[in-house]
Amino acid sequence: MSRISVEPRAHGGAHVRFGVPVASLVFALMVGAVILALVGNNPFEAYRTMYDASLNGWTSISRSLTLATPLILTGLAAAIAFRMKVYNIGAEGQLYLGAIASSWVALALPPDLPKPIMLTFFILGGAVAGAIWAGLAAIPRAFLNADEIITTLMLNFVALSLMNYLIFGSMSFWRDPERPVPQGLKIPESARLPILSGRLHAGVIVAVVAAALLWWVLRRTSWGFQVRTIGDSPDAARYAGMNVKLKLFWVLAISGALAGIAGAVEVSGVTKSLEPKALATEIGFTGIIVAVVARMNPLGVVPVSIFLAAIATSGSRLQSIGIQVEVVFLLQGLIFLSVTAGEFFVTNKVSLNRGSPSALSTEAAS
Amino acid sequence: MTSDTSLARAVEHSAQTAVAKQGGLRLKGEDLTKSFYGVPAIDRVSFELVAGEVHGLLGENGAGKSTLCSVLSGLYRPDSGQITMRGEPVQFRSPHEASGHGIGMVYQHFRLVDSFTVAQNIVLGLGKQFGRQMKVVENKVASLAEEYGLDIDPSAAVWQLSVGEQQRVEILKQLFRGAEILILDEPTAVLAPQEADRLFEAVSTIVARNHAVVLVSHKMREILEHTDRLTVLRRGKNAGSVETADTNPAEVAKMMFGERYVADYRPIEATTAARAGEPVLIVQGLDVEGDRGLAAVKDVSFTVRRGEIVGVAGVSGNGQRELQEAIAGLRSARQGSVTIADTDCSKMGPRGRTRSGLAYVPEDRLGTGLAPGLPLEHNIVLKSYDRAPHSKGGVLAPANIAATTKQLVEDFDVRGARDGMQVSLMSGGNLQKAILARELTADHDVLLAAAPTRGLDISAADTVRSHILNERDEGRGVLLFSEDLEEVIHLSDIVMVMFHGEIVGTFTRDELDIDEVGLLMTGSSSK
Repeated sequence: MSRISVEPRAHGGAHVRFGVPVASLVFALMVGAVILALVGNNPFEAYRTMYDASLNGWTSISRSLTLATPLILTGLAAAIAFRMKVYNIGAEGQLYLGAIASSWVALALPPDLPKPIMLTFFILGGAVAGAIWAGLAAIPRAFLNADEIITTLMLNFVALSLMNYLIFGSMSFWRDPERPVPQGLKIPESARLPILSGRLHAGVIVAVVAAALLWWVLRRTSWGFQVRTIGDSPDAARYAGMNVKLKLFWVLAISGALAGIAGAVEVSGVTKSLEPKALATEIGFTGIIVAVVARMNPLGVVPVSIFLAAIATSGSRLQSIGIQVEVVFLLQGLIFLSVTAGEFFVTNKVSLNRGSPSALSTEAAS
Repeated sequence: MTSDTSLARAVEHSAQTAVAKQGGLRLKGEDLTKSFYGVPAIDRVSFELVAGEVHGLLGENGAGKSTLCSVLSGLYRPDSGQITMRGEPVQFRSPHEASGHGIGMVYQHFRLVDSFTVAQNIVLGLGKQFGRQMKVVENKVASLAEEYGLDIDPSAAVWQLSVGEQQRVEILKQLFRGAEILILDEPTAVLAPQEADRLFEAVSTIVARNHAVVLVSHKMREILEHTDRLTVLRRGKNAGSVETADTNPAEVAKMMFGERYVADYRPIEATTAARAGEPVLIVQGLDVEGDRGLAAVKDVSFTVRRGEIVGVAGVSGNGQRELQEAIAGLRSARQGSVTIADTDCSKMGPRGRTRSGLAYVPEDRLGTGLAPGLPLEHNIVLKSYDRAPHSKGGVLAPANIAATTKQLVEDFDVRGARDGMQVSLMSGGNLQKAILARELTADHDVLLAAAPTRGLDISAADTVRSHILNERDEGRGVLLFSEDLEEVIHLSDIVMVMFHGEIVGTFTRDELDIDEVGLLMTGSSSK
């Protein structure tokens, strides 16, 4: 008589941590191949196209990286909050506010400011606005114990409506008065992030530096020590004399600031103006997925974001070779689901045991 | 309960004894054993239940009461032993099967769906046929409720009900399912006194219908007042079953706490109390509220001096946790003061009290004493992470943290930790050693240790006890809370007894009277 036993794995070695995701990916590709073949597509051609579109050559890679940039930032926003078990699902709205505030800074300051100064204020503006927007949820959470899932989620809709109003609903400061079609006013050259290659802008450096910095702060400072303790056990943190409420507030603010920076970086590097349609692409929500897959590790957020961005960029190319959009979504979902589910095998050891029936019955009874 | 109803019950009871004699034996457990991880929670326990009786099950925490009930109600399967009902051997593979045999258990923590109505909760899990005829169910529930005096509105949502009413729903649920044997696990723990009286009235109505009730409690008075027979469990064994009318509190206390322990546990060094020095912990007139806003600690005052161990004996749930938390600064006191090593800490949080010289080994090891998901080294520096040598200018020094951890792991013989492994995977004994390592190596004048050996194996418990004795010998004060009376007596120079939030007795080693302590612990006597 045999049975499957699952026990938590103490500490997976490198072969587990890297082997499992790779095996999950291979598994997804194999299942996907069967599906592609069943609907009459050539799986090899499809995978080849996906690879070409996202990772083959600098052009493809830079396209994936451009898409990954804001994702890294919103992923970090979610990671630090979730690490502390503060469920900020308002990165979406905080991103909009970051975009609104930073473009205001760019339009309000003299356009001939030196680029480093302009960009500093620009990004700072986005960060502060994101932090304040998150702070709106942080205060009721910290002091009235209001559920931040609800408050941050609701604030997303407020932020979206605000952004739409500024461009589509009014002749606001942000709207280009010269054009009949509602459109955001272009930000000056000095507020645009330098282009690295093709469409890839320096925002990717901001994102990667933010990830490294956040990792360092969480891992290597006494502030991060407190955050990790509170995230694991608020009772233990209180026992050790930490101020849990204050930290809660700060973590939400930082989370919001990171999402706000994502908004600023998108405006500066991609849209060049406050463009509600181009900004509202659920980057904030996708960041939550990124953070969960990266298991709240800031350094893990970077590759996961790039991976997700690569899947997304390859999707549009697949449609161009005649694969139905539904199949494309199915493939994307399959890869994603498989890699996410594979995490289970990283944290748990699964083995097939052979046991005597009597041993089995005692186990079952306990 | 008024004497009228007692009388009525006595009359009813004598009427039933006749029934009982005609094969009224309902449930019998023989030599029941159930172990967890090799440690027996109940060990060859035998138990008999007769129709028409209220049978008390008494014992300290961890004596095996809940395990025995879970075995009888089908939640656990016994490792060995036999359960018979009406003379026929039975085996329950699930609570559902036990329910089919007429055994119903009411847990201390209710199993109710808050947003459902009383009637919906009662038929929950019984199958679809009830779904469409809620009115019929409600009528049946209402008539059952009336029959047993369990006043309830069947169409009310559970969240609208008081705790006492929710308990009635649980009892009705079992009666609705045809339970003839009702097991009530610590039913009065959550009730106000008046609600408890109503519960006991309902219980006597239930047994008057020739059903049987098992009443689990660690409150002796309750058991003595409201049962026909009682069984005492001590350390997983049956310490005896007696007719309630034929026994007295002193005898039951002896059964609960053992009579040989005084001989077994002679104080290690009977003269230590004389060495006691200046006070290191002074608690003055402390009033503390519990989680539900009721007074949990009432006007408690005592002093712990250098070179002495003050032990607090008591059945858990009598305000010990609240008192510990108030001393440690985790719970604010409504009134009173706490002075640690000459510093008035009444207004301080936990951090200030630690700095003033308090080391604290909390009751809840994993979750409060340690952050369970984080590695050992994180937990070792849980209180010293922000000071040299573990950090400088807000930046941690991982090498120094690792060095401290390595040193303490060696000094305190903490085993089972691996690099980066979360501490929750370590054994209880090693977790406790890790907490002691952290607390005892920090600068401190007084140690507050709560249930420091609970759940530990013998050798780990001995290690912990020798650390505690060592604290005393090095001239620090120790305040020890333990549910294990033998441990308190074994280690303490002064024994205080806590009951219902008050210190009801204080004994020095010379004047220690075990029987008196046992009685005080169960609230049967006041000194």
